[in-house]
Amino acid sequence: MEKFEFNKAERDHIEKIIARYPDSQSAVMPVLWMAQEKFGHVEPDVQKLVAKTLDLPEAHVYGVASFYTQYYKEKMGKYVLDVCTCLSCQVCGGYDMLHYIEEKLGIKAGETTEDGMFSIQSVECLGACGYAPMMQITNDIYVNHLDKAKVDKVIETLKQGKMPEFEPIPMRVAEKS
Amino acid sequence: MPEIFIDDQRFEFEGNPKVLQFVLDQGLELPFFCYHPSLSIPANCRQCFVEAGTPVFNRETNSYELDENGDRVIRWFPKLMTSCSLEATDGMVIKTHRSSEKVARGQKDTLEFILINHPLDCPICDQAGECPLQIQTYKYGPEGSRFEHKKVHKPKRVQLGPNVVLDAERCINCTRCVRFTDEISKSKQLSIVSRGDKNYPLTAPGTEFDDPYSLNTVDICPVGALTSTDFRFKARVWEMNQTPGIDMTGSKGTNIDLWVRNNLVMRITPRYNPDVNDHWMPDEARKDYRRINENRISRPSIKLDGEQVKTSWNNAMLTFNEETGKVKPSEILVIGSPHASVEDNYVLSKFFNRLGVSDVHFANDIEKGRGDDFLITDDRAPNANGCRFLGFTEHDPAALGKAVSASGVKMVVILGDDLIGRGAFPAEAVQGKFTVFMGTNNCDTSNAANLVVPITCSAEHAASYINEAGRIQRTIPAKETVYTSRRLNLEMSLGRLDHFATKFDNWESDDNKVDCIPAWEFLIRLVQETGGDLTYTSSREIMDEIASAIDTFSGVSFERMDDEYGIPLKKENQPQGKTV
Amino acid sequence: MQDWRTYEPLLIPSIKDLHKIDVYEKNGGYQQLKKVLSDKEQTPEAVTNTVKNANLRGRGGAGFNAGLKWSFMPKPDGGPRYIAANGDESEPGTFKDRMIFEYNPHLFIEGALIAAYAMSIDAVYVYIRGEYRSWITMMQKAIDDAYAKGYIGKGIMGSKMNCEMYVHMGAGAYICGEESSLMESLEGKRGYPRVKPPFPAQKGLWGRPTTINNIETLANVPLIIKNGSEWFTSIGAKGHPGPVLYGISGHVNRPGVYEYPSGMLITELINDVCGGVRGGKKIKAVIPGGSSTPPLRGDSLDGVRMDADSLRDAGSMMGTAGMVILDEDTDMVDLVWRISHFYHHESCGQCTPCRDGTGWLEKTLLKIKNGEGEIRDLELLLDICFQMEGRTICALADAAAWPVRYSVARFRDEFEARCKKSIYAVA
Ligand SMILES: Cc1cc2nc3c(=O)[nH]c(=O)nc-3n(C[C@H](O)[C@H](O)[C@H](O)COP(=O)(O)O)c2cc1C
Ligand code: SF4
Ligand code: SF4
Ligand code: FES
Ligand code: FES
Repeated sequence: MEKFEFNKAERDHIEKIIARYPDSQSAVMPVLWMAQEKFGHVEPDVQKLVAKTLDLPEAHVYGVASFYTQYYKEKMGKYVLDVCTCLSCQVCGGYDMLHYIEEKLGIKAGETTEDGMFSIQSVECLGACGYAPMMQITNDIYVNHLDKAKVDKVIETLKQGKMPEFEPIPMRVAEKS
Repeated sequence: MPEIFIDDQRFEFEGNPKVLQFVLDQGLELPFFCYHPSLSIPANCRQCFVEAGTPVFNRETNSYELDENGDRVIRWFPKLMTSCSLEATDGMVIKTHRSSEKVARGQKDTLEFILINHPLDCPICDQAGECPLQIQTYKYGPEGSRFEHKKVHKPKRVQLGPNVVLDAERCINCTRCVRFTDEISKSKQLSIVSRGDKNYPLTAPGTEFDDPYSLNTVDICPVGALTSTDFRFKARVWEMNQTPGIDMTGSKGTNIDLWVRNNLVMRITPRYNPDVNDHWMPDEARKDYRRINENRISRPSIKLDGEQVKTSWNNAMLTFNEETGKVKPSEILVIGSPHASVEDNYVLSKFFNRLGVSDVHFANDIEKGRGDDFLITDDRAPNANGCRFLGFTEHDPAALGKAVSASGVKMVVILGDDLIGRGAFPAEAVQGKFTVFMGTNNCDTSNAANLVVPITCSAEHAASYINEAGRIQRTIPAKETVYTSRRLNLEMSLGRLDHFATKFDNWESDDNKVDCIPAWEFLIRLVQETGGDLTYTSSREIMDEIASAIDTFSGVSFERMDDEYGIPLKKENQPQGKTV
Repeated sequence: MQDWRTYEPLLIPSIKDLHKIDVYEKNGGYQQLKKVLSDKEQTPEAVTNTVKNANLRGRGGAGFNAGLKWSFMPKPDGGPRYIAANGDESEPGTFKDRMIFEYNPHLFIEGALIAAYAMSIDAVYVYIRGEYRSWITMMQKAIDDAYAKGYIGKGIMGSKMNCEMYVHMGAGAYICGEESSLMESLEGKRGYPRVKPPFPAQKGLWGRPTTINNIETLANVPLIIKNGSEWFTSIGAKGHPGPVLYGISGHVNRPGVYEYPSGMLITELINDVCGGVRGGKKIKAVIPGGSSTPPLRGDSLDGVRMDADSLRDAGSMMGTAGMVILDEDTDMVDLVWRISHFYHHESCGQCTPCRDGTGWLEKTLLKIKNGEGEIRDLELLLDICFQMEGRTICALADAAAWPVRYSVARFRDEFEARCKKSIYAVA
């Protein structure tokens, strides 16, 4: 069985995180994030580690981890494609993109490809509504203005083990008439 | 004094009560689920709605503003308010469902919401009959359901720990169980997990709900989501008689209820006593019903050729009197019991005093390290203080063993205490000494005794016990013996079936009645047999005598114990007790 | 009112590299913080009053006067006091605070510090939704730079003021944008909104006095301190003045975040600012301020302005000014179902009407969407909304009910057309 531990440097960093708050319980979210960053998920054994590190009841950590959707309570694909299908994305073709990606990877939203490369999720608004339809990759880069060609390109990039580039938000002013 | 108007009725209040608690304290009804007087207030069930308003105060005139009819102008809160979290203020006006359509609608709506994802499986649910959700749905709920979709499905039959089973679909997310483990038992073993309508309480993966107080969550769960592994499916609530009692497994004096069907105690639950155990009790103590039901000594027995042989009461009394006649008072060792009641111990002492035996001894029953800071005590006996306050000589078990072995002792009389079983002395120690055991359950001591007298246990008699803090509290007979009848014995409580059932649905049988009598009754019969003058007819009478005879007990009576959550005996009156 | 065509953005001015601290400083950055710290007349009360008089209304949704909110803080008692800056930005249709993180983070930091000065705050926690990881990095960099230059920390700019600033990363829960849920989340708990009272100013983070303000709200503060409250109230709509970041999405040609004075005509924003509706289509509906605000019919937009009063009269709300423009081809039933799905997914599940009501709404709408609905289901929808509104611990239940209630009312023909002909006579 895989053993989950924080090394010395990480434990020191955790002490610094705790110091930001009046009590160590408040550090549970940042430390869960750290753990997810390191292990790729926060499965029960990782939650246990976080509880032990912060001296919190295990049930509390479980309650917190299960409340927030971005914590992966089970192993996910190397790249998690979070396709927004909410309001603005919905009306701008978010579902078309989702279905296209599902078809392309041969899995449904909520599933992971057999090679463990990709998971797809249909997610709520990611705060990029003006650049719809869009998706986020593994809690990180936003890919805006999706169309089939762009999806193809992004998946190709990911297959090569690279993350797509960060896309700055376009500055908008009205076109002066 | 500040005043509050509830459905147009005026009440005065003190302090800062919450409206719900205040209304309940007035004996009025208001439906609620999540509120619990001993826990924090999350106001999450939204069942306790009221309309609330406050009078408009005019600072300039320094008086309340009045309308054209001379009534106070009330500023109403625009929304329905949860009375559990609403603090009463002077002049506040409250409308409950009794006077407000809006409130009645609010209560009905909340119930409709709760029920849409509820399995509605009352017929197979343990909670049925004592379920706030069931009761309130009948009283305040919608007539039918307008929900035509699939319900949310959640885990069922989850064994949370050794004692508690979860049916998450029945859970209404009141969080009482979680708050209990956070705030009362402090084990923090439960959390609500997941989010939205997928919410339910659970332990962390791979951990057990082995909190020594886990079963309290079953008591306070307002639905059948949490049930007791042990009691599940054994009896329906309405088949049982509920009788107040006192826990016998420790010296805390935890107040309990005994739930009896067909003369078997089916379960034990805590009973509220703000000064002792609040609403709670340890899991371990609930198993004590087995001691009451199982392995009981029924009918006296005497030892013939090394075997216990059942005998008649008459023979038992004759034997007893003959044997005491054979020895000198100084050769009798009388051992009272921290496990027996004040009354039994008192009459034991009085009986032998009459015979010229001046000292009564007892062995404390301490298990070091067993206790916690809450309701579990190191002391395993409910009434050590009773023995102390009666002036008995206290021994460590081993020391008492020595006294028993002393060669001058020819006869040993033991009241309700398995001294051999708990290692005070080996069975050989009483060999050759005529040993009388007055007890409730078959045990090593009864096996070793020459005469065994079956006596009533705490579930069968009215008697008092003094807890570690010096509080005297009493039991009420919950189950019948061969000689008592629920309908005739005025001390016994009557259940629903006694009141309302016909002969045919009241399956009373003699099966589970024990052939025993209270120890005091046996002792006075012995006296009467020899024409003596001890003539109590009830334990109540005995307590009255104790109260007038012993300073420590002055002013104590069954009535007062019943009315006052037991009586703390005055510290200055408490004797230190004799120890050796 | 100033013509919007000549308006120059103040929150996100087009200055290259403004997010870098030295560029920000060169453009007058941190001078307002310096001003309140050094000018004797700028007492905390005076600063609070200036902001109050500016009528800076919260940009997080509820539109409450920020200065007035600050004035609710009790007098300092020596114990810690906090600001929680709300960058959770999760209401569908809203994507404007991100603009500040990326382009002008120091304006926000300066505003937060001025607020901290005004309320004697010990620490500012900037709560940013976890999805915004890239922008959290940017914000953290800006905070680190400001620390390095002595704008944050002990003895700020040589004064006696001490204030820390930390970023707290969310992890996927819309409800954590609700202020009391945000505080629970900061305290390391499940994001369950708290019962009020007590209010955050009395008992907030870790039981101490706390003020919660939106990121954009705080970013406005240095502008007010610089130019005065009168200047601020002269921008845009009278009852709801100041610059506003309009996040416009949906079926327009040039969606995005635009900064203009409040009180812009919706039609102007669509046609002139965003270059009109895609493909020249007609507008069916406009959601003016995030998914919870009642949609307005496309044929009722004339003269409606993006400010609290005008939108109230039109039957909606300003919300977050996250506008979603929907063209004539939009399927309103699908749309409202998806909105309901969102609220169902995001309900914290704490209180009954919201936990069970949001699911019931979604399931009923799904039934209608699938053509299985009956006319009576429309009445049922309205009834469920009624049973949720105003009955819960936080406003998520209302936010879930309003779009359903008003869509069914305003687009009833479309909903009815999707329903099966009832086998029962319709009374
Ligand atoms: C369900 C719900 C979600 C909310 N989400 C946000 C949010 O993402 N960002 C925000 O600034 N305010 C949000 N709010 C409003 C906050 O509760 C609070 O009013 C606001 O942050 C106060 O800041 P302001 O006065 O500067 O607007 C939300 C409110 C509710 C009821
Ligand atoms: S299991 Fe029972 S006590 Fe616990 S939250 Fe559910 S309904 Fe409440
Ligand atoms: S209204 Fe909804 S989100 Fe708000 S506290 Fe209640 S259940 Fe949670
Ligand atoms: S709706 Fe997709 S990012 Fe907002
Ligand atoms: S009792 Fe649950 S809200 Fe008041």
